[in-house]
Amino acid sequence: MASNFANTILILSLFSSFLSNLFFLKNKTYLSIRFFNFSSFLILLSFGMLVFFFCISEFSISAVYENSHTLKPFFYKFAGTWGNHEGSLLLFIVIVALYGSFFSILYKDISKFKSWVIFFQNNIFLIFLIFLITTSNPFDMILPKPSEGLGLNPILQDPLLVIHPPFLYLGYVGFSLTLSLVLAALVTKKLNNSWANICWPYVMASWVFLTIGIALGSIWAYYELGWGGYWFWDPVENASLMPWLSGTALIHSLLVLKVRNQMQNWTALLAILTFSFSLLGTFLVRSGILNSVHAFANDPERGVFILVIIFFITSISLSIKIFYSSKSINKNTSFFSKESFLNINNLFLLFFLFVVLLGTIYPIILSFFGEVISIGPVYYNTILAPFVFIFLLAMSYGPLLKWSHDNRLEKLHFMVIIFIISSLLSLTIILLSKRNELLLYLGLTVSMLLILTIFYEIFKNFRSKTTFYYPRFLSHLGVGLFFLSVFLNSYYSETKDFEIDVGEVKNFNNLSVRFLNHNVYKIDNYLEMKTDFEITENNKIFNLKPSVRRYFQPEQITSETSIKPTIISNYYLAINFPDLNSTTIGARYYYNFFIHGIWLGLFLIILGGVFSVFKKRI
Amino acid sequence: MNNKVKNRLYIFLVTSITVLILGRFVYVSLKKNTVYFFSPTELRYQTEIPNGLIRIGGMVKKDSLIKRKGNQYSFIITDFKNEILVNYNGIKPNLFTEGQGAVVEGKLNTRTNLVASKILAKHDENYMPKEVADALKKSGDWKKKYGK
Repeated sequence: MASNFANTILILSLFSSFLSNLFFLKNKTYLSIRFFNFSSFLILLSFGMLVFFFCISEFSISAVYENSHTLKPFFYKFAGTWGNHEGSLLLFIVIVALYGSFFSILYKDISKFKSWVIFFQNNIFLIFLIFLITTSNPFDMILPKPSEGLGLNPILQDPLLVIHPPFLYLGYVGFSLTLSLVLAALVTKKLNNSWANICWPYVMASWVFLTIGIALGSIWAYYELGWGGYWFWDPVENASLMPWLSGTALIHSLLVLKVRNQMQNWTALLAILTFSFSLLGTFLVRSGILNSVHAFANDPERGVFILVIIFFITSISLSIKIFYSSKSINKNTSFFSKESFLNINNLFLLFFLFVVLLGTIYPIILSFFGEVISIGPVYYNTILAPFVFIFLLAMSYGPLLKWSHDNRLEKLHFMVIIFIISSLLSLTIILLSKRNELLLYLGLTVSMLLILTIFYEIFKNFRSKTTFYYPRFLSHLGVGLFFLSVFLNSYYSETKDFEIDVGEVKNFNNLSVRFLNHNVYKIDNYLEMKTDFEITENNKIFNLKPSVRRYFQPEQITSETSIKPTIISNYYLAINFPDLNSTTIGARYYYNFFIHGIWLGLFLIILGGVFSVFKKRI
Repeated sequence: MNNKVKNRLYIFLVTSITVLILGRFVYVSLKKNTVYFFSPTELRYQTEIPNGLIRIGGMVKKDSLIKRKGNQYSFIITDFKNEILVNYNGIKPNLFTEGQGAVVEGKLNTRTNLVASKILAKHDENYMPKEVADALKKSGDWKKKYGK
């Protein structure tokens, strides 16, 4: 019953989407948009129904049966809707539709351009809807109705992980609208600065959502995985970083298009690239090629299908691009200008993207030839570090320049002064802490250079009361703070691994750890061991209470780390589950220096993006 | 050649040289940081002993796990045809026990002895790292034991 009803709605939505295409071809713009919005309403309705079925544990629906359980807390029943392949794909489609409908509501002018945007968006929608219905229908019926569901992977039962996928999807999928906007602009020959103004808020919103999604994933990894770090260069993380890098490049080239009416072709290419990488990210993560919690689809047929979709969308888009593109307007600009530094920004970001892409897919490609390899994090760190230095230098200097032409010497003098200040500051830091390392020195210098330059700009702006570029100030300040914290964190943090028995004390240099007690509780479907440790570090005494859970069916262990934050650092302790008949546990202790700076940096980057969505002109 | 062509040629040259240098740089780092995976049997038939960081996957042999002083462990990784003795200094990860699959990362001491720096504790729902399952399938012992 429930299944039939939901399936009918899905089919109606598909039908309405076909009609939208039909009316578009018959030049009935108004009807075409109407039917698109109608199918978008229907798909939202069907998603609402899936949420409802999850909430009431309707086990005759396959997705609910396979991924839910009556004993689960209500919150996770609700959130379990997108904790599986079918549900998350439906969410993906809902977001494609919603972005399209939002655009159709907000962009009032019924023109050829608008109808083309909706046409492209409708077809992206259609492709994924067909994929959903043919290979991964969440509403498949199970008869007879089972009395109990199979349960949700315990590691996914975390509030952060509940909101992480929707944000990531809002980001990934947002770039589908960017793609539709670009294709429509190409076809209607409207790829210019006023077009850039139209699509700016949508691009920025998608970028903000993607950034939030990545940040949430990183915060989750820090608190939940118990490895003390925030980024592991895991292929799954890289999959989300790639569209972010190309999306960031897109924003900056869009800026040039907006202000100078230049870089049309490049912007179009980046828009196509960004959505392709969004799809590639989804494919890598969901297909099961990478072994991770994210891999829902173990059916190879689905993986192949997604790959075909990526190939199809990318090649169609590129063909449209090649067929319709006109020559970019070339204006005479000097190297010392804002736009040429924005070009440099783009090249750097694409290089970073290339490095990450290679490290991510090289092992996958080799695996088809029977060779199993993995790429260590050292690869990324050694390649990216030197370029990050230059990148941050350019990032400090470029924005100071005017558009088109500028007097290079005046600004260079200024940069030299700030460079000397930040270089002295970082020299003081490394000498005081006795860490004489070149990389640390360079890292601190360039990130402080960026921060100080922006402070100077803010100061100057306040005095002259000219336009205040606060989105850029916030985001770039965030980037400076982020890298400053990354360098401080990676050089001044400490790790200790040890095994410890109840009552035992472990002594290290100026750290001593006492294992006070432990208790094991049996809760629903897991055992939880709660512990109490007394830590003495540099004459400071505090307690850390990490716990660890052992789930059954599927057997899995998740750790609840215990963190004591101070103003400049985190004391962090995670434990392993002990063997049977033993009270000795493995413990990992981390002193994480300046970790707040990383979160604050990310927050500023996001905040700048949020402001930029609502700001009309730069 | 007029100025425009000269300019283009110049840009083309600079770009291609940059791309070549960058490509070489990336390639070298990629090679240097590639960690190869072997099953004990594959390792046995390597003509040259790999001298960098490698990974070995298989089952932790029953009754082979010995705890020495401090956090020092030794155990045997087997694919039921060949074995590698592993020495490891560190804490045992969760779910690492005898008779289950594991992947260890480290450097070879001799052809049959690995000094591990890391034990990878990633498992899929069958308690079997994907690489281990594949390695066991290759050695032909998969069917007998797991009926798949």
